[in-house]
Amino acid sequence: MADKTQQQLEEEKKKRQEELAREAKAKKEQLRTVDHQLAMVFDLNKCLGCQTCTIACKTLWTREEGMEYMWWATVNTQPGKGTPKDWEKMGGGFRGEFKEPIAGQLPLVDDFGAAWEFNYDEVFQGGKGNGVYLKVKGEEPKWGPNWDEDQGGGQYPNSFYFYLPRICNHCSYPACLEACPRNAIYKRKEDGITLIDEKRCRGYRFCMEACPYKKIYFNHVKKVAQKCIFCFPRVEKKVPPACARQCPGRLRFVGLLDDETSPVYKLVKEWKVALPLHPETGTEPNVYYVPPLAPPRFNERGEIDETKPRIPLKYLQYLFGDEVERALETLKGEMAKTRRGEKSELMDLLIVYQWKELFSHLTQDPAELRWT
Amino acid sequence: MAIKAKKVSASLEELLDPTSGQWSGVAGEKIEMAATPLANQPSEYIKASRDEKKIGKVRELEVKCCHNGGQVFLRLEWADEARNLEVTETNTFPDGAGVLFPIKDEPPIDEMGRKEERVNAWYWRADFADQPKNVWAEGLSTTNYSEESFIKAKSRWENGKWQVVLARNLAVGGPPDESVKLEVGKPTKIGFAVWEGGNGERAGVKSFSKEWRDFELEA
Repeated sequence: MADKTQQQLEEEKKKRQEELAREAKAKKEQLRTVDHQLAMVFDLNKCLGCQTCTIACKTLWTREEGMEYMWWATVNTQPGKGTPKDWEKMGGGFRGEFKEPIAGQLPLVDDFGAAWEFNYDEVFQGGKGNGVYLKVKGEEPKWGPNWDEDQGGGQYPNSFYFYLPRICNHCSYPACLEACPRNAIYKRKEDGITLIDEKRCRGYRFCMEACPYKKIYFNHVKKVAQKCIFCFPRVEKKVPPACARQCPGRLRFVGLLDDETSPVYKLVKEWKVALPLHPETGTEPNVYYVPPLAPPRFNERGEIDETKPRIPLKYLQYLFGDEVERALETLKGEMAKTRRGEKSELMDLLIVYQWKELFSHLTQDPAELRWT
Repeated sequence: MAIKAKKVSASLEELLDPTSGQWSGVAGEKIEMAATPLANQPSEYIKASRDEKKIGKVRELEVKCCHNGGQVFLRLEWADEARNLEVTETNTFPDGAGVLFPIKDEPPIDEMGRKEERVNAWYWRADFADQPKNVWAEGLSTTNYSEESFIKAKSRWENGKWQVVLARNLAVGGPPDESVKLEVGKPTKIGFAVWEGGNGERAGVKSFSKEWRDFELEA
């Protein structure tokens, strides 16, 4: 048989590459296809920035060596640089309807904020009395996970801020899953929780680059990527995630997006007042936010001025997309109803008279469980 | 051209040392290296975010090899101005090198094996403390570390050069479909890869030897 020409070889190679690309695509499709999707809704009008969620998560999941700088659940003041610092400028996610991946950058430990060590020994055992005070050991830190707390934006008397809790968005089209060359990231069929299989993960960190929300951390001891797991071991026992169950503000709703009885369904699908953060990333997050309505602003004469919102609409559109305007109108309309003494299903839903209504089918009290 | 491992009379300790005088008598072969094709990357993200012209920074690898009847030795040397030893930050990556053999048949070198056509890699990395991993794979994104690695290594970096010797017994234990069988006088194929950590190279983003070379242990 005559040798193949260069052109034939090139064509064969190209065909094979297309075949490989098709196979890889099918595999990714399989890894992200789910039967049901758990979702969380945060009502930003109720978040006090108390960080109970942050600590609930920290004490439960990220106490091991190598996890010191990890905060799978964070709460940051907006406007602000967030955690990691300036994460919104780090790229990642997708462009356009064909979901073309966008290059992203790797957030550094210092961008998240390294865990500080304090001079406890010196203060408590140093025998220096009042001569020393509690401070960070070594170089003075220049950034931390909640560094710009309560700075906010705007000018007095119309300054404003609100809190933005964040966890992994457990996206329907996760950029991390798409990026991993080892197929180590997958969504669970039964509830859509996005997980990193640490046995497959080799710590290559393409996922960290690709995630536009920069919610993946690198464990420097285990050399693997780690992130929020939506407390799946709790969820499997019908216990809500720790951040949600311990939130004293009753603002974290949890439920399946296709469960028409769940408040999550009602807020996202029916009332459409809960919106994903930065929808333009194309990852289709499953964490949603009820946008904040601030108190009215004052005009130059110090009178209440309701013609313009205190939080600039543009800023909320930047965070939550153009849908936010309609969501805010719905919220205002329903609030007005209650002020007139009428009943509003939406307001009742957001008030959460019964705490456990937040969690729909996740009704189990963890204290009554035997954990093995 | 075939890569041939001459038989020498020297111990494992002597030959594992990349600076050993034993190596001066072994002829080296310069292997031309190239960026792995982006089109083969099993990640749309990697395809979109990398530039093939900027990956595969190490373009030449010198390979010397020999055996002493019991063990085979591969001495790899390449230029690298700054060594990358550890993952010190989230954006640092260690240098690495690998040698690839087909275990069954001869799948294309740029596909890391195929189903039913496994390959075996000896994977050295600067942060592995000279304990290379035994890797087996049957296609892109399927690499696995064997539970036990029988590969030994010694490495040094000096004057802008990595010198790494990889060694393994000709016959090894462990699952037979995870390690290449090497026998004197029985030719097989061999390929090479280098990761320049300073260039963010890891996973399939690396330079490789483009084609299989014949590999033979001489009697």
